[in-house]
Amino acid sequence: MYAVEFENITKSFGLLTVNDKVTFGVKENSVHCLLGENGAGKSTLMKILFGSYKQDSGTIKIRGKEVKFKSPLDAIDEKIGMLYQHFMLIDEFTIWENVVLGNEMNAGMKLDYKKIKYRLNEIIEIYNLGLDINKKICDISISQEQKVELLKLLYRNSDILIFDEPTAVLSPVEVNEFFKIIEKFKADGKTIIFITHKLNEVKELADRVSILRKGQLVYETDKADIDVQKLGKEIIGNVEVAESPAKISPNEENKKSFIELKDVTLIKDKVKVLDDITIDIRRYEIHGICGVEGNGQQELVDVILQFEKNISGTVMMKDERVSIVPDDRYKRGMIKEFTVGENLILKKPSEGLISKRTVDTASQYIMKKYDVRAPSAETPIGSLSGGNQQKAIIAREIEMQQNTMIFYHPTRGVDINATAFIHSEIVSLRNAGKAILLVSSDLDELLKLSDRLSVMHKGRLIKTFDETELSSGNRNNLLEQIGKLMIGIH
Amino acid sequence: MELFNSILTVAFLTQVFRLMTPYYLGASAANFSERGGVINIAIEGFMILSAFSFAMFNILTHNIPLAIFLALIINVVFALLYSVFTVKLKINQIVTGVGFNILIAGLTKFLMMIIFHSSSNTERFEGIPDNELIGKIPLVGAILSDYIVLFALILIFLSNFILFKTTFGLRLRSVGENPEAAESLGIKVRRYKVYGILISGFLAALGGIWLASEQKSFSDGMIAGRGYIALAAMIIGKWKPVNIFFASLIFAFFEALQISIQISGVPIPSQLIQMLPYLITILVLIGLIGKTKPPAADGVPY
Repeated sequence: MYAVEFENITKSFGLLTVNDKVTFGVKENSVHCLLGENGAGKSTLMKILFGSYKQDSGTIKIRGKEVKFKSPLDAIDEKIGMLYQHFMLIDEFTIWENVVLGNEMNAGMKLDYKKIKYRLNEIIEIYNLGLDINKKICDISISQEQKVELLKLLYRNSDILIFDEPTAVLSPVEVNEFFKIIEKFKADGKTIIFITHKLNEVKELADRVSILRKGQLVYETDKADIDVQKLGKEIIGNVEVAESPAKISPNEENKKSFIELKDVTLIKDKVKVLDDITIDIRRYEIHGICGVEGNGQQELVDVILQFEKNISGTVMMKDERVSIVPDDRYKRGMIKEFTVGENLILKKPSEGLISKRTVDTASQYIMKKYDVRAPSAETPIGSLSGGNQQKAIIAREIEMQQNTMIFYHPTRGVDINATAFIHSEIVSLRNAGKAILLVSSDLDELLKLSDRLSVMHKGRLIKTFDETELSSGNRNNLLEQIGKLMIGIH
Repeated sequence: MELFNSILTVAFLTQVFRLMTPYYLGASAANFSERGGVINIAIEGFMILSAFSFAMFNILTHNIPLAIFLALIINVVFALLYSVFTVKLKINQIVTGVGFNILIAGLTKFLMMIIFHSSSNTERFEGIPDNELIGKIPLVGAILSDYIVLFALILIFLSNFILFKTTFGLRLRSVGENPEAAESLGIKVRRYKVYGILISGFLAALGGIWLASEQKSFSDGMIAGRGYIALAAMIIGKWKPVNIFFASLIFAFFEALQISIQISGVPIPSQLIQMLPYLITILVLIGLIGKTKPPAADGVPY
């Protein structure tokens, strides 16, 4: 029995066909992984299923019955739930207010808080979500926000759940927690459609896999036949992925420190967000920082950028300016209403007037060199795909040619191809003698790139692995050790 | 000393609570609109309009309940008009608000000329009578016997209840904080914005009616910026009913103080004293309150 059946779904935007006669079924009570590059048509297909878009042709059946959704509300009525990549939560509301909104339980004129509390705590307990329903959204972590979104779906009794890259914002420990929740969903008879870029997750979870490439269904397989190598190939098709260059090892004396922090402590709202941090960032080195989000990584970066000045301890920096690829590009990296060209020259020292011609030549050079795909330099940067936006920002920062660079979640939400490109750029920069700080929650990325790796927990650097520790020994043991350190177990 | 004694009287406190009423009604009016994400700086205009319509119908019909009713209806109709501009047509809310204020100020003057043949004030009329039974209660009777003052005091709890304990309030606030999220859960965003504005028109009207009834006539400029002070009270009160009440009380206290000082003949220039409420606003904003945070999607058309 199929929970969802797509039959010949076709959808075009203008001349671009984003879904081309897509046909496949999602079995009831299974985890179905949907893979593909950014722009392969996964999100469009899911939006059609959820009623946000309407297909040009083709039919969708839910539990064997053909449906025509006019809006997401119709989909919600059919017990379909969507876990958005960008959460739809109200910061100033409490968790329970966010969850019940639109489907309130009332006692006469009043919201029936007692009943709501009982029902929500029941769900929280069953799925082990560990949420306090009276906390406000602005006071909880990203992974908890995601659990609130799950709680919203469960409160509405959704039994076909669409997860759009849910693990992109989670640390390894949180990913494991999340997988446990998914297993519980399945045990309760729910159907899960899971979009991800991380192939090891597919291996662990999927009952069946479908791969989209350029809008077409190109590959399907069952759990027993999942081969991660094969999946990777099918996702990108016959394109070569950039290989990172080999790391060159300079003499020890060349490894000068460009940044040195000594006993740095930062107190915010009476909490030690940085606690006695001593770290140096040397040239010819990528210094990785890993940790669960919110353990002081942001503050560490802000101290180096001199956004945080009320600190104790000393900071020594070779240069005043440091390049940064920020974690949240919408907040700190770019102005999404500005054009690609304007964003590229935004950090250039002022030269008085800006001529259109210099902007165009400069940005065309950069776009070509870094393979930033945009219709022109005059396209608003917000309309590019996430991967291309990120490439543009990385290009801008590299072109500033600073000695020290910070990469903060450089490949979050970026597809395989762009990730490979970014990794190879980072290694090239290292080989050219830059000092690089890499903050990430992606352990694979950190282990692949880092020359040294420090683990942060509650504002402290609790362990730094040096080159030999990273390269020798069993990788799985290392992963386990780091995973434990990240949650504070020494 | 004489001044000090005069402040510590029941009469003075009664005065403060009475003067608080138009501020609190105006501020609550603005709050219901802003909680739904629509800035309403037309509170001043709404108060002028209701004061005038109440005066006009009162003079023409000598029927106070009818005059109140018609004044409320007219204000709600104007509020509906305001929502057509700001919610349906998505015109900038500040521009619309300023437009309404200017339009209403001109319109009332114009109608006064036609109906009462004076551009400055109407003839006198009977104000809304007090409730005699409540008036007999010692101490608080003088405050609570005025129906609109009584309503304003009840409104503190009522609006708190509506905003934070009911489905309607939850939805109204969701629309002012994050309309996209609200819509994704099936809430009719625009409809709730309109509800907020209509409540706003209704409450502002009560404020205007009270002022006209108190003065027993309508005169040009009689609202004297109270609609704007009400907006300040809403901001100082951080969009929370109880806090807004205290903010309104502060303004009312200084207004009453100013009147007392003038009567007592203390040689302080009255202009200086009239500055007090405004000066206090700024000082309070700087020092005591800290950063205030409006609803996240306040003023953003949807």
